[in-house]
Amino acid sequence: MKRLSRIVALSLALAVVALTFTAPAGAQPKTELTIALSSFSAETLDPALQGHNVKYYLSLMFDYLVGTTPEGQPSQAGGLASKWENSADHKRWTFHLRKGVKFHTGEEMTSEDVKFSLQRAMGKRSTTGYAGPLRTLIQDIETPAPDRVVIVTRDPTLIIPTYLSRSLSTEGMVLPKKYIEANGDDGFARKPVGTGPFKFVEQVVGSHIKMTAVDNHWRIGTPKYKTVTFKLVPEETTRIALLRRGEVDVTDISRERVKEIQKENFPVHFRKEEAIIHMWWVLGPDGRVGPTKDKRVREALNLAIDRNEVAQSIFGGFAEPAAIPMGLSWAFKDVGFKPTPDMQYAYDPARAKKLLAEAGHASGFPLDMYAFQLPGFAEGKAFAEAIAGYWEKIGVKPKLIPVDYPAFRKLWVDRKAPEAVGYYNVANRDWIGTFALLEKQAYTPSKLNDTVNDAEIDGMIAQVLRQTDRDKINALMRNIFTRLRSEHYGVPVVYVHSPYATSKTLGKWNPGAVMYDLFIDQLAASK
Amino acid sequence: MAAEPAGGTLALPEAVAAPVRGRGRHVPWIPIGLIALFVAAAALAPLVSPGDPYAQSLRNRFTPPVWDERGTWAHPLGTDRLGRDMLARILYGARVSLAVGALAVLLASSVGAAVGLVAGYYGGRVDAALMRITDATLSFPVILLALILAVTVGPSFLNVVIAISVILWARYARVIRGEVLTLMQLDFIAQARIAGAGAWRIITRHLVPNTLNTLVVLITLQVGYVIIVEAALSFLGAGIPPPTPAWGSMIAEGRDFVTSAWWVSFLPGLAIMLVVLAFNLLGDWLRDTLDPKLRQL
Amino acid sequence: MLRFVSFRLLQSLIALALLSVVVFVLARTTGDPLHMILPMSATEEDYANARSYLGLDRPYVEQYLTFVGRAVTGDFGTSIRARRPVSELLLERLPNSLRLAVFAMAVSLAMAFPLGVLAAVNKGSGIDRAAQVIAVLGQSLPSFWVAIILVEFVAGRWQWLPAGGSDGFTSYVLPGFTLGWFVVAGLMRLLRSGMLEVLDSEYVKLARIKGVVERRVIWLHALKNALIPVVTFAGIYFSILVTTAIVVETVFAWPGLGRLAYDGITSRDFPVIQAVVLTTAAIVAAGNLGVDLLYAVIDPRIRHAR
Repeated sequence: MKRLSRIVALSLALAVVALTFTAPAGAQPKTELTIALSSFSAETLDPALQGHNVKYYLSLMFDYLVGTTPEGQPSQAGGLASKWENSADHKRWTFHLRKGVKFHTGEEMTSEDVKFSLQRAMGKRSTTGYAGPLRTLIQDIETPAPDRVVIVTRDPTLIIPTYLSRSLSTEGMVLPKKYIEANGDDGFARKPVGTGPFKFVEQVVGSHIKMTAVDNHWRIGTPKYKTVTFKLVPEETTRIALLRRGEVDVTDISRERVKEIQKENFPVHFRKEEAIIHMWWVLGPDGRVGPTKDKRVREALNLAIDRNEVAQSIFGGFAEPAAIPMGLSWAFKDVGFKPTPDMQYAYDPARAKKLLAEAGHASGFPLDMYAFQLPGFAEGKAFAEAIAGYWEKIGVKPKLIPVDYPAFRKLWVDRKAPEAVGYYNVANRDWIGTFALLEKQAYTPSKLNDTVNDAEIDGMIAQVLRQTDRDKINALMRNIFTRLRSEHYGVPVVYVHSPYATSKTLGKWNPGAVMYDLFIDQLAASK
Repeated sequence: MAAEPAGGTLALPEAVAAPVRGRGRHVPWIPIGLIALFVAAAALAPLVSPGDPYAQSLRNRFTPPVWDERGTWAHPLGTDRLGRDMLARILYGARVSLAVGALAVLLASSVGAAVGLVAGYYGGRVDAALMRITDATLSFPVILLALILAVTVGPSFLNVVIAISVILWARYARVIRGEVLTLMQLDFIAQARIAGAGAWRIITRHLVPNTLNTLVVLITLQVGYVIIVEAALSFLGAGIPPPTPAWGSMIAEGRDFVTSAWWVSFLPGLAIMLVVLAFNLLGDWLRDTLDPKLRQL
Repeated sequence: MLRFVSFRLLQSLIALALLSVVVFVLARTTGDPLHMILPMSATEEDYANARSYLGLDRPYVEQYLTFVGRAVTGDFGTSIRARRPVSELLLERLPNSLRLAVFAMAVSLAMAFPLGVLAAVNKGSGIDRAAQVIAVLGQSLPSFWVAIILVEFVAGRWQWLPAGGSDGFTSYVLPGFTLGWFVVAGLMRLLRSGMLEVLDSEYVKLARIKGVVERRVIWLHALKNALIPVVTFAGIYFSILVTTAIVVETVFAWPGLGRLAYDGITSRDFPVIQAVVLTTAAIVAAGNLGVDLLYAVIDPRIRHAR
């Protein structure tokens, strides 16, 4: 008797507890698209505050001035500017805007909004990646008509359309002037408004971002999905479980689990050569110090690594050996650069040891290696350990130092750890983005971030800055790559392909070859 | 939901007649044996290990243990992500994990006991001040402190020990202080005072021996806890850094391969489970034998 | 009684104040949050701009006083990384953490209850030992390991329960179980010894002698008394559940305080670090206070101890 009453009491208690929680979720309707990611990077929804270029969700809520095809080429179909032209002296760029594009609040987008957004992106408060170069470059912004914007630059330049396009960062996103002036920057960040095919619904920082479709959008028609939700799920086992359960439609997975997922017939899309795993030596306050000052030592450290083995084992076969330091391959096509077979580093530890001896380091030397995880690079620590293993075999004495990336970055930029080795999975990008990167990491006058310190390369970069002849620019870029390789200014290890697993019913998707963008809007496009 | 004893009435065997005692007079030989086994393995690791726990061989990564058809006797328990021998890493990992447990607990208990003794003996303002500090410490989550340390100066063996001890001592302080307060009410303390004994004498001669039982129980129970915390820290990236073999970080490294290379995380997990279970069971038995009143520990 | 309560409350507040200084200093030693929010190409000027915009170039004492002054009103400043008020972030997360902790507590009681009673009634036997091992197992397995195994098999392969997120009652089960198992051992021990004490008591002996077969009265009495220590310690266990949830939150993508702290620490987000540590400390202090109060109600001797 009492057993029964006890059971009843317990069940009642549990039911009461249960009622305080939300109702159970129903089965996933097909009108919802859910994407699980291991990292959101910067989570603020204000494009001007994105220091790290992540556009996965921003590209759905905002439109760019200049559109881009998934292959990274400027497109007149994908941006708010339906066409643009430059003046003969390359100092005035005129953009013709689409008519009838409305913000999510109902207001029409005009050239005033474009001018406002650009000034905001270049303003003091902005932390975007290319705010600096734009500030030096742009002299004035004119709005001769509601559907025309003219950008006046100080020097002749080719790069304005690309800088304001989807292929780089967020400076080209067009924001609503009246709305921001009325609600303030913080109000805008809380409830962002744009002209994109999806409207902001809610954000729980560290958990998810939800948006809902706009009817009949100029870019993609009426989206196939009514709601799009981005979920932050740091643990991979959990992401995969969500995929298996049908709770998410798209998720990034690590290379090591691709085969497991493919065996279960989940489609896996790859962004080929999404990043290059590149290692460099931190410079001292006045340039290169220590054994790596000698070119032979740098070459030896490169020859000691079996790139094929690394690609096959650590990256599960989803990587290709890389040969050019900072060689972002998506830019090679643009500038007509083709790495020749002899540029590939052979795996030759014997020769490496010989080179070390020739340079006077037959018994090796100590080398600090910083080991950290990075978003999109789950193999980080294992990778560092593996490379340390190779270097140990040629007599170098690597010491692994586990700090996280921000701590390493401080040492790198303050130049407090000369000759220490760091690495990064540098996102692949087109030639303009590559040039911007080189201008930061291979250019002595940029001081803080330089890892190269070579006068010849400095000269070539300075020339590119001032060139408007595409052929000359391409030639300079090819020479820069060639010299980076011949002088061994870094240790390029592999290009990695990044896998994204999708549900079986998702349909066609081209994640594209644009930095930090997955073209989710293409998934939802109905035209 | 309660179990109905067999037979109609409440059949309470000797338990009713006998005084409430511990789980048994039976010494828990299995836990003691397990602990001894692991300590021995840790101490003798260089002799017993099949190889160097640091030796990588990417070609041999994820070799299954020997009883699998693809396993070999060269690596009886298989290899990990970088081709390192699992048995070697578990043996050497025993050293690291047990050392963390022992060091952190010894450090925390000495400091904590000292604080508890002083607070309980002197009482008044000293007690109040010390207890405020203790309370503040107790409310700081261990894992967060270790994370902060890891992010500031980088994760290391020392940082893990320090981070844990810095919070753990407060537990000892509180418990010992409670014990001392009770003891101070007893006659023999008053008598000692009357006899002219000073603080030091009373503390060392009278208080310490009477709180030793509690201390031993706490220490035994906390070793397992520290090992578990180290594992959690490794999972979050604030534990013992690679390439040092430590059970916690080994499980963390293998956690994405639970089905494809189950041995990488399962075997160190099994090791942790056995050792911590042994310490916990031993601690429970000690508590029940030495002083059943300690049930609130 | 009132004096005791206010005294303890005052003590807790002092402890919190102490903690605020410690956490203020600790947060700032973690490094520079600007490295996380500024792009790689930022110049010295960009850094100086950002620093002054965020108020990080003021003298430390001023920063501390501003922090404390605002914190008392519930304003913990603005998150450097998310650029949103920290109190908003806290309000989004705190309910999730509390609900998970409550659920986990319910799970642990649901487990500890039968285990404790079984052990008490079958004292000394194999069942007693087995119950003990099952309970203690919860403290002997790394929780992230348990969590990942559950996600991989129960959620992913067999698909019995949800794997992550916090929508729906069923999504509480796996994280609640993982979190709750940790405290089952302590609860079970209390229940067991409480039961044993009562079963051994004069009351029961007398009832037996009298021949009273009224199981219900005896069991109810036994349970009631056994539950007293459990209830008094519920406060402490609850705060343990809240503060150790970070691992469970990470694996199950549960948006709670633990994960907020982790993100805050890794991005050197001082306001967030300070706010979360102080909030968890307040929860722990509340739990301890609750326990002490209940204990004092039950045992008046303690009330008068200094």
